[in-house]
Amino acid sequence: MDKKMCNINKNFDSEPGESTELEEAELNNRIFSVESDDELPVLAQNDQENPVIWLNDEDLDLETVNINSFFHRVDSDQIIYQTKKKRLKMIGKYVMGDLLGEGSYGKVKEMLDSETLCRHAVKILKKHKLRRIPNGEQNVQREIKLLRTLRHKNVIKLVDVFYNEEKQKMYLIMEFCVGSLQGMLESTPTKKFPLFQAHGYFLQLIDGLEYLHSKGIIHKDIKPGNLLLTLEGNLKISDLGVAEALDLFAADDTCYTSQGSPAFQPPEIANGLEAFSGFKVDIWSSGVTLYNITTGKYPFEGDNVYRLFENIGKGDFTVPEDIDCTLQNLINGMLRKDPGDRFSIKQIRQHDWCIRKPSKCGQAVPIPPLRGDEFHSITVLPYLMEHYYECQGSDDGEYEYYTERQLNEERRKSERPHHQLYEKSAHNNGRAHVSSQSTKRRWPKPISCISVNKFPGCKQS
Amino acid sequence: MPLFGKSQKSPADVVKALKEAVNSLEKGDKKAEKAQEDVSKNLVLIKNMLYGTSDAEPQTDIIVAQLAQELYNSNLLLLLIQNLNRIDFEGKKDVAQVFNNILRRQIGTRSPTVEYICTKPEILFTLMTGYEHQEIALNCGTMLRECARYEALAKIMLYSDDFYNFFKYVEVSTFDIASDAFSTFKELLTRHKILCADFLETNYDKVFSHYQRLLNSENYVTRRQSLKLLGELLLDRHNFSVMTRYISNPDNLKLMMNMLKERSRNIQFEAFHVFKVFVANPNKPKPILDILLRNQDKLVEFLMKFHTDRAEDEQFNDEKAYLIRQIKELRPIADH
Repeated sequence: MDKKMCNINKNFDSEPGESTELEEAELNNRIFSVESDDELPVLAQNDQENPVIWLNDEDLDLETVNINSFFHRVDSDQIIYQTKKKRLKMIGKYVMGDLLGEGSYGKVKEMLDSETLCRHAVKILKKHKLRRIPNGEQNVQREIKLLRTLRHKNVIKLVDVFYNEEKQKMYLIMEFCVGSLQGMLESTPTKKFPLFQAHGYFLQLIDGLEYLHSKGIIHKDIKPGNLLLTLEGNLKISDLGVAEALDLFAADDTCYTSQGSPAFQPPEIANGLEAFSGFKVDIWSSGVTLYNITTGKYPFEGDNVYRLFENIGKGDFTVPEDIDCTLQNLINGMLRKDPGDRFSIKQIRQHDWCIRKPSKCGQAVPIPPLRGDEFHSITVLPYLMEHYYECQGSDDGEYEYYTERQLNEERRKSERPHHQLYEKSAHNNGRAHVSSQSTKRRWPKPISCISVNKFPGCKQS
Repeated sequence: MPLFGKSQKSPADVVKALKEAVNSLEKGDKKAEKAQEDVSKNLVLIKNMLYGTSDAEPQTDIIVAQLAQELYNSNLLLLLIQNLNRIDFEGKKDVAQVFNNILRRQIGTRSPTVEYICTKPEILFTLMTGYEHQEIALNCGTMLRECARYEALAKIMLYSDDFYNFFKYVEVSTFDIASDAFSTFKELLTRHKILCADFLETNYDKVFSHYQRLLNSENYVTRRQSLKLLGELLLDRHNFSVMTRYISNPDNLKLMMNMLKERSRNIQFEAFHVFKVFVANPNKPKPILDILLRNQDKLVEFLMKFHTDRAEDEQFNDEKAYLIRQIKELRPIADH
């Protein structure tokens, strides 16, 4: 719910600078000119003379007020879009690429280190958004501090941190990942992985978790959404925003707080215990994760957090019948209600299900494509191309502004050759595929636009 | 019968032929050259059964199972390792590849080769002594590290007397061998957390008296690497009790304080990360506290100037500031 609220709010309180950035992210591809003789559609306006009127409660008389005087209707074919040029943007030695994803405190974009040519992802955090999240700033600082000390193949690496005081932004440059397990699960109808794939991810999760625990760090928010994958399919535990580092001299792993996701919390937290074993919290949530990625379901559910916690607190759950018994046994061991009985990492490692390699049956779930690009090609390149090779042509820009109708026209046009390409690809595999790829990539969905009011140049004379 | 090429030799035949060839190589009789050739040829045959070639798939599970069984029964793995220095260059690499593949073989949850090696630990000990022979050291290293991935095998190696030879191997003058030995050594001490912690705890005195020598080594690389590993071991939560034991010994503190003043900045930096644990300890034993108190002013002054150019390393600066504060606030325990 909260997240939704945030998303809605975003449109209202964003500053002018921000909205252009939104365009930059979504509308960064140029519309290509069409050889059509169609007239330019009339860039219209209805009566624009009506200024925006703010209602005063006293004045309000619903009977007499004409609805049209405050709601200004613009037909979709009368909206003008502006193409966004791929303007090269550099932050330090890093070149900005396209949007990869969006979280509650900001965007994640691709970035290229211009010195090493390594691909990275950058998490852009905005101060004012961070302030709205409970403990937001604190969590980020803690995450930075923790990540700096960690170095393991299954834990996300923090490459660099930048601050821009002027824009009130923080840039966390991280290892490049292409998606989370959650995203992959959502892309499939069954919401689960074939066993061999789940097995591979689970072992990597346990490796990473063992490392974190060996450093005295309790993650507290293990779930598919926080497990990222690199292009090579290596799993990276990420988001240490609510993690806790034990004191070096703490005798045991007792914790007192938890801010993790409710569905992945253990009974001791659901029941409101004051102190609990931190490591066993991570074991539990890894168990829920394993349950989730192998069955497509959750062991505990509830209409609201209270119901959910009530169910978790009882600790009764069932594993679907069709799950083989060694896996059932492992899940049961990781989801024991009493943390003392719950498996340790060593027990998990030595469990039969972990030792046995499941045979490769069924199709592995692929990483969902990013804006149609299943290969997740580097998105920084077009910016560099534009900057170094196409800067001469950008001034005449015939179609710098275009309308929905033109857009639809374009779409229809592009779809036809598209189909042909696919038919062709049966005969001519490699090349046709590549070209269909490139047509796909040129069609982002533009979401923001310039309304007619703001653009007097288009008024009908 | 395949349509093209020669008919496949059965695993039993290949193993038998290889064993004979290795035996005659060992005897070193006149037909040595012929034996060498046979060894290479049969090793390639076995390797191809396991890995396949560019135009042939690996053999079916049944054939591989037969091959493995023959290798166990004939004791050929040990024989190959014992005679590794007599086998030619490519052959040595093939032995390592065959060994590692057979080792990784699984039947359900069982690893038959691991079980086999547990009954024949000479294989491990022979591999470990491989570090003494320059020409086979690196081949043995790859096989050893593959073995170290299995807890049962790592345990045999750790708890053997031969393990202490590693303290020698990591210091040999040939850099690549010393490095290889160090990575195996590190793998054994860090891979299986619980096993390693138990081992370090039960053999604390023996291990750390040997370890002390590495930290005092003449060899810069050994000194630096072993200091870094020491830091990792002590700061790993699994080794909590080892850490508390280590930081209550004043000799260890003295050593670290001396290393803080080493010429090499890298060693100073690594020493800092061990030194900080002594200071951060909330329950410092009297001897430790005494040393710190005796040097209180000097330490504060020293730390103020310590690596001041690492301005961008926030973590380090925070820790340094914390240490300075801690040392400033040190007060002697009131005598009873």
